Amino acid sequence: MKMYRILLRWPEKVVLSDHFVLVLTALYFLLIWAIYPHMAGHRNLANLLSNVWPLLALVIGQMFVLIVGGIDLSQTSIMAVTSVLGAMVMAMRFDPAKFQHNPLWGVIFSEQGGWLAGHSSAVPAAIFVMLAIGMGIGFLNGLAVAKLRMPPFMVTLVAMSFFSGLAIYLTRSENIMHLPASFIAIGKGAVGPIPSALLIVVSLAAVAFVILNRSVLGRWFYAVGQNIRTASVSGIPTDRVVILAYVFSGFCAGIGSILYSARLEAGRPTLGRNLLLDVIGAAVIGGISLFGGKGKVLWAVYGVLFFVVLDNSLNKMPIEFYSIDIIKGCVILMAALLDALRTRIAANQVIAVGAA
Amino acid sequence: MENAKRFILFILLGVVLLTYAGCSRKDKPSDQITICFAFQDLETEYWVAAHKAITETLRARNIRVLERNAHQDANRQLEQIRDAIAQDVDGIIMIPQDGESAVTIIGEANQAGIPIGVFNRPPADRSKPALVVVADNERIAEEAVAYMAEAAQKLNRKMTPLILVGDLGDQNSIERKNGFYKAINAHPDLFKEPIEVPTKWDAVTTLANLEAALQVEPRVDFLFTSSDFLYPQVKAVLEPLGKWKPIGDPAHVILGGLDGDSAAYTLMKEGYVDATGVQDLFFEADAIMEALLDAIEKGQSTPEKWIQDPGFALTQENMAEREMDMWGYRILKAEAGS
Repeated sequence: MKMYRILLRWPEKVVLSDHFVLVLTALYFLLIWAIYPHMAGHRNLANLLSNVWPLLALVIGQMFVLIVGGIDLSQTSIMAVTSVLGAMVMAMRFDPAKFQHNPLWGVIFSEQGGWLAGHSSAVPAAIFVMLAIGMGIGFLNGLAVAKLRMPPFMVTLVAMSFFSGLAIYLTRSENIMHLPASFIAIGKGAVGPIPSALLIVVSLAAVAFVILNRSVLGRWFYAVGQNIRTASVSGIPTDRVVILAYVFSGFCAGIGSILYSARLEAGRPTLGRNLLLDVIGAAVIGGISLFGGKGKVLWAVYGVLFFVVLDNSLNKMPIEFYSIDIIKGCVILMAALLDALRTRIAANQVIAVGAA
Repeated sequence: MENAKRFILFILLGVVLLTYAGCSRKDKPSDQITICFAFQDLETEYWVAAHKAITETLRARNIRVLERNAHQDANRQLEQIRDAIAQDVDGIIMIPQDGESAVTIIGEANQAGIPIGVFNRPPADRSKPALVVVADNERIAEEAVAYMAEAAQKLNRKMTPLILVGDLGDQNSIERKNGFYKAINAHPDLFKEPIEVPTKWDAVTTLANLEAALQVEPRVDFLFTSSDFLYPQVKAVLEPLGKWKPIGDPAHVILGGLDGDSAAYTLMKEGYVDATGVQDLFFEADAIMEALLDAIEKGQSTPEKWIQDPGFALTQENMAEREMDMWGYRILKAEAGS
């Protein structure tokens, strides 16, 4: 009888577990692996993981903004603009046929390369520029949301439009190639057996974890997201907290930009153009609430893993391309339904405990 | 809670063990050739027709085709092709998002020793070996616009030209714009400063932007669309203004485009369009498939060959002789036949 009761409650416990999405991902992986043996092949696992890191950087940043009850639609345009500006600093040469009519030709870059081309500090300076500009744009977003009380959706939508347009204007739509090998190694290289991208993003995740779980600031983020008025009355500097969330999101977009630019070996004005749905989708699937106050680094990791495994598995199937989109939509819908089910079970449990 | 943790640990252990087992397991070799066909999107009739020609021909030859749509995202295309490489495909045909990402992706295929063919959008440089078939977009656009300019000269007035610019992240779109300007700049006395209308290769954006542009400058009488698939939007804007008139009518707007699709053919036949640049879609599709299959058969892992599609401008003057070379016409005829 006891065993029966345990068996009966077991699925409920799994569904309510923090690790539910991971369990779901693992089961899905096993299912696909049974059909397509190369799913667990060395090369495929390496691919799968290399796709996780840059997306995870973006989702972690998005999570901070979602926790404070906002949304950052400008992340991908931050990636685009920082990608081209970073490339303008460090590219080894520019093709005159493509760039000589650019207004920045001869000012910031020329045929001999970018602003600091060939200089030993070119790559660090470019990385600094990319991160600083990412944070700067995040700061502007945060300022508009916190101080001007503008809706986050609107602010970041305008920022998305403006900065993606700016990235195209700055380059006249041209991609900037000939990036230094040491920069490309950030996206494609490894430190010993460990990929550089993994080291960077795991460090970022660790920093995010410490901020959210081990600092007063982390508690402020959650408090602001749960109820900004209560947080304000409690003495939390809500404006500064909101601005910091957007700055961190911009910083993470800068990291994402570095990783994606390095793996594509170019500064790209259209970088990440279609990535926003993946970023927000992964965050939500992981369990991070769109209504604020709820989110964990681990959930972001699980959400990204789910998304990447799903994408990877669909690439294995010999099906027509439109079927892939339909299947992907259905699987995401199922995951979202399961998430809704979890929320309902959890709410029922709270009511039951209250009644008892 | 403890049970849930145990369950998760059990699952993770299972994954690790099965992964280890999977790594040491090899797929059974098969005689069937597998080709990954990775394209950036199917937003125009040209890409749809190319997709159909390539996939149907390959499948008819009993070749397994893995279709991958990157939705205009270079990074996604890179990930898809890496996944295909992990599946040990025999060859790859790619319509890249742009020339720069093509170079990176070709490098991935080269490293894996898998032959790769690039369809219609050339890599930015030739540093890495690939099979490439490409149309000269700049020259074809220039040729079509040059014919339109000839027609404009006969009107003995200064023209107000407008170009519907494609997505500026797309190399083909930039080359077409360059070709347009080359032809326009050859007649400095004939044309006013051209009006550029961004379309982002999107019908709704085109409609809104073209309407706005014509409200500001209603005297536009020379219009070049960077892709034929935007003609319905051009008509929707010009018609209410009384500017959708056939050649010979005083209100006719000199019209031209590029691609060579069936809509462009019909409009040329009806006398609304003066000229259109034509890419030889079927030649390009056949050429890339033959080159790739040949490389696979010969066991070449990094074959290199550039195949040029000369293309041409179909004009009202040469239409009778050259319409058979227009892929849009051939599609129409095939549909009529079936």
